[in-house]
Amino acid sequence: MKVIQRRIFLKTLTSLPIVGGAVLAASALIRYFKPTTVGGLEGLVAPPDEAGSSIQAVAALSELTQPWDFKDFIYIRKSVEYSSRKIQGAKIPGFVVRIPDEFTDPKNPKSKYIVVQRICPHLGCTFNFVKSPEELAGGYNYKPPAPTHPYFACPCHLSVYDPTRKTEVNLQGLLPGKVVSGPAPRPPRTMSFEIKDGQIVITGTEGGGVG
Amino acid sequence: MVDAIRYLFLGLIHAPATFLAWFQERWTKMDLFDESHVEESKTNPWFSLGGMWYWVWMLVIISGVVLMIYYIPVTDQAYHSIERIQQNWRWGPVAIGSMVRGLHKYGADAFIILATMRVYRMWFTGEYKQGNEFSFIIALLLLIIGMYSGLTGYLLIWNQRALWATKVMATFPTYLDQNPAWLPGGSLINWTNQGKTTAQILLGGTSIGPATVTRFYAFHFMLSFIPLIFFELRVYARGFKRMNINHWAKLAVFAVVLAIAIMIPAAQGSPANPEVTPNPILSDWYFLAMYHFLKLQDPYLATVLTVAIPFLVLTSMFLDRRPERAWGQRQIFNWIGIGGLIYFIAFSFLILNGIADLHRDAPLWYFSMGAFLLTGYIQDWAYVMKRDGKRFYETFHIFFVAFILVAMSANTLYHYFGEIREWNVLGKAQMPGVLAHLQQANPLATPDMAYDWLEKNRPNLNLWLTKGAGPDKPPGMQLWVVHVIAWLGIIASGTVIGLGRWGRRKSAEAAALAAKAKPKPQGA
Repeated sequence: MKVIQRRIFLKTLTSLPIVGGAVLAASALIRYFKPTTVGGLEGLVAPPDEAGSSIQAVAALSELTQPWDFKDFIYIRKSVEYSSRKIQGAKIPGFVVRIPDEFTDPKNPKSKYIVVQRICPHLGCTFNFVKSPEELAGGYNYKPPAPTHPYFACPCHLSVYDPTRKTEVNLQGLLPGKVVSGPAPRPPRTMSFEIKDGQIVITGTEGGGVG
Repeated sequence: MVDAIRYLFLGLIHAPATFLAWFQERWTKMDLFDESHVEESKTNPWFSLGGMWYWVWMLVIISGVVLMIYYIPVTDQAYHSIERIQQNWRWGPVAIGSMVRGLHKYGADAFIILATMRVYRMWFTGEYKQGNEFSFIIALLLLIIGMYSGLTGYLLIWNQRALWATKVMATFPTYLDQNPAWLPGGSLINWTNQGKTTAQILLGGTSIGPATVTRFYAFHFMLSFIPLIFFELRVYARGFKRMNINHWAKLAVFAVVLAIAIMIPAAQGSPANPEVTPNPILSDWYFLAMYHFLKLQDPYLATVLTVAIPFLVLTSMFLDRRPERAWGQRQIFNWIGIGGLIYFIAFSFLILNGIADLHRDAPLWYFSMGAFLLTGYIQDWAYVMKRDGKRFYETFHIFFVAFILVAMSANTLYHYFGEIREWNVLGKAQMPGVLAHLQQANPLATPDMAYDWLEKNRPNLNLWLTKGAGPDKPPGMQLWVVHVIAWLGIIASGTVIGLGRWGRRKSAEAAALAAKAKPKPQGA
């Protein structure tokens, strides 16, 4: 019996490095599956969405002088990807909207504009800026109350956002675009911006969505 | 007590062996392509579904391999390579490329139709009983694999429908990181970020790009070839015939798919454009019902339910413990099947015609779901009374009814809870004053913040109470009140009746035991 036990012991001992090697190989393969891992425990549990995107000017203030003037733009967000370039620019569509003065803070010039990512926080479609209440009622299943104003509305699952109202979002604070109809769980994701030389300049984007 | 512990211990000790025996019985009986229904299939075409299904699968694989030669899996060339397949490759008047692509597409549709029909056949005839659970699991699993293969396959076309369907599908898992805090371990799961990780693994990054196309190309093969390898290993080990259909049946199936492929060339749509979502935008036909369902539900709940539906089907299969297999003797399970079919057809119809009133429809559908279950329950109740010769109250399962009613009320609750505080007349009257007050400190204060303030600082003004709600209150409001009362009442009466019944049974058991013990001689 002793002999067999010794044999089992030796077999176990020799198989350990083999098992270890297999686990190492598998872990490398599995990490390769997930391209945005930057390393370390933090990288495993909370991947960054952006690898560092440049600051981009998207609209001139002269284009947004009247209330409800808006401009749609594309912001290039760079993220780590599994490709030969290692980095890939995702096109993030966005909206700048000039909000009427009654909804803004007179002390803060930035509050005249809201800048949102056009990616619906529900399931990722690109939403529209809908000005006509008839289109909202017919195409998006929402009858806006009087006095009516434009809304953001998503064609996929008919979520409608009110740019004049705000909702509290965890860790992000009060965000414009309260959901007034449809299944969306939160207001659109935002972009941080600054006003420089009469231009609206995007400095960063809120992560979490699929671009 | 001691006996109970002893039996529990013995049960635990024997659990692996019991499970192994259970598993082995089902493994032996597992049926892949209806190979255990050879006799039935000669007279009943429903039992030829397995063979036809395998045949269609082979057609799809062969046409897919041909398409592989010409398809270019790169985002900026994929759409045009398909265009080239559709147009350029001709044999006289017949566009061979279009035909092969049609065979692949309509063959895949046929695969899903046949797999669905087979799942329904097994469900309605109770084929999963008497140790055949694995056959049903395999049939259902392959239907799901077929659907996912379709999803990964149509991104490869790189058209608008594909792009947005993929985006929706890839955003799905991110909701798995938003488990509510009251769920045990919910915040731990959220912390691991596994939902977002899943999305990134699927897409090969944070957005749909070249890496996504490569991955989906790989998944598309894997989903077909890996099950095929395992199936062939089993066929090799058991040596059964794969297709229990004759050559004429094979030819007929092939001819039907080919005729459709020639008459209706597979659609290509417009090239993918991540900047514009067309309105309306639809998915492939087998996801339409799911897509409509997504409109009506909170996304977290919708994600969990979408992942859970197959598991719910499997769970309800294991709940069907009775040996009866005849149609009239298992009405609850019939109605689950019929209900599923009705929702599939009705939701697809509604979304195709653009009919959706999000504020009215959702509770309606939930109620009808409960109504199906209740109908099934009442029919089953009648059957059990007749079978066991019992009075109606002796076979009444109050908890089942309570469960259905709770489920029916839950959705109503969900749909009106969010807006309830705005329907409170007293709260609504006080809100503007509070808002004006708040705006002195913060010019950007909103009505919602005013409601929050009221809720926090006026505890006797119960904002969730809608007593005296205005004339424009939503029609479901009274229903909501009725449901809360019914819910509480049914649970209370269920507890009382259930406990009474349990007590009577226990005392009857004790009396029987005492009567049995009496004749025994003392000290034996």
